[in-house]
Amino acid sequence: MAGSIIVARGLSRRYGSIVALDGVDLNIAEGTVYALLGPNGAGKTTLINLLTTLMLPHAGSAQIAGYDVVRQAAQVRRLIGVTFQELILDRDLTGRQVLDIHARLYRLSPALRRQRITELIALVQLEEAIDRQVKGYSGGMQRRLELARGLMTEPQVLFLDEPTQGLDPQNRHAIWEYLQVLKRERGLTLLLTTHYMEEAEALADVVGIIDHGRMVVEGSPAALIGELGADVVRIVGSGDTAAFLEHMRAMPYIGSITHDLEPGAIMFGVEHGTRRLAEIIAQAHRNGFTISDIEVRRPTLGEVFLKHTGVTLRS
Amino acid sequence: MYATLTIWSKHMTKFFHNYEELGGLLMQPILWVAIFGVGMSALIGRVEGSDYLNFMLPGILALTALGGAVGGGMILLEERLRGIIKEYLVAPIPRLSILLGNAASTVTKALFQAGIILVVGALFGARPSGDLIGWLGALLALVLFTLGFAGLALAVASRSRSIMGYHGLIFLFNLPLLFASNALYPLAQLPGWIRLIALVNPTTYLIDILRALAFQGSATLPLLFSFAMLLLFAVAGMSLALVGFRRAIA
Repeated sequence: MAGSIIVARGLSRRYGSIVALDGVDLNIAEGTVYALLGPNGAGKTTLINLLTTLMLPHAGSAQIAGYDVVRQAAQVRRLIGVTFQELILDRDLTGRQVLDIHARLYRLSPALRRQRITELIALVQLEEAIDRQVKGYSGGMQRRLELARGLMTEPQVLFLDEPTQGLDPQNRHAIWEYLQVLKRERGLTLLLTTHYMEEAEALADVVGIIDHGRMVVEGSPAALIGELGADVVRIVGSGDTAAFLEHMRAMPYIGSITHDLEPGAIMFGVEHGTRRLAEIIAQAHRNGFTISDIEVRRPTLGEVFLKHTGVTLRS
Repeated sequence: MYATLTIWSKHMTKFFHNYEELGGLLMQPILWVAIFGVGMSALIGRVEGSDYLNFMLPGILALTALGGAVGGGMILLEERLRGIIKEYLVAPIPRLSILLGNAASTVTKALFQAGIILVVGALFGARPSGDLIGWLGALLALVLFTLGFAGLALAVASRSRSIMGYHGLIFLFNLPLLFASNALYPLAQLPGWIRLIALVNPTTYLIDILRALAFQGSATLPLLFSFAMLLLFAVAGMSLALVGFRRAIA
């Protein structure tokens, strides 16, 4: 595909007998923000490790900007920026030293390093703290510093593994804002993993849901949500669930049924949810299912995720 | 080369910012000279025609280099356990530079400490001697020795899963190497079996060279042979480190 900057074919990786990644294909166009969603252990980090040359695949291949991640790892490394799931910072260095040393590893000239540091600390709003030691930074500041570090070398592709994990909503929104600026102003290609649905919805052009090492579904958030039907009717209740669902499956107006076991909620994807409400309630009553709560709403990416993986991601 | 230099300079920056590490490294040799050295020389007086403090300063230099090597391994271990090594691994730098940068900073710190020991030793009455060539030779010997042990420490640090595990393993070869050598007593006075151990112990060769070239002593082993042994040791240590490190990042 023309314009694809990340391409993967049948990418697989095992750990001993555990298959972490099982034949994943990717085709990500330049300038795309791609969010990889998946439960813990789904293979998200493994996929990032393979694409960023940290690990070798056991099968399949991948290219970044046309360079093979195995055979041309050195070229790939020159083009990418990465931030990892855990905070990886030298706590005894100042923020400025962290950025400067990182850029020296990529052989940037002193003048360019100074210029980029000035630009980036303005972007991530660390001007005041930049000459203090990292150990005095809050979690949010450390994440922002890491983001700046990932951008120091002006990568063509930026990989962010759980970029807002463990951050409070305020810091999370700040990171989203920086990423949106980057997307708008630089057309940076971004591959991020997350288990925050709002994060994927706020940032991503394309979402890929990955589970048990396989790509389950891929598409724009709007298209994925659209597949569920225009509305979701969510019911919580008790009774003969099996008979009720059996019956509902036969109804022509039901687009999809997902069942979230933990709170015992059932979601029906339907067109014109409000119009079908009375009918659904009647069907429940007829099948011995007592409704304790019911609502009609627009479907979310969370429901898309539930439909494809059978589990809920909780933020 | 440039990446090695960058990693080296980063470690040195951290070193001079970390007052605990700096203070520890400064105090350790001072305590050895001031307490152990002065005490022992009051007890022993002269060994092999030289003042005991002069006799044992090379041993303290060796011990300090050992300590430095252990510290160098710790830095790699910490970078590994805390994931900092991933920053290097996704950067366009040779894998070897990670190891070389670490070995270089380890040797630099050891030489820095050696300088302090000499100053402290001189303050307490030791009289190092020797000409420029002799001192350069002594310096070379100390660098080779530190590289060898830094290699061993880095090899262990490449594999250890915890700081405790690392120290357990390191302890196994730290003190015995000092005691089973000519560091604290002359080779000739050792019983046969310890002398045998001492002769496969690189510490013995370093100390013999240092005594002969810089501390008014005479070589009990052929100098060139001692240098060859240290070179062999340095190469072997760094090779082990390379093998261990390659496995760790694969």
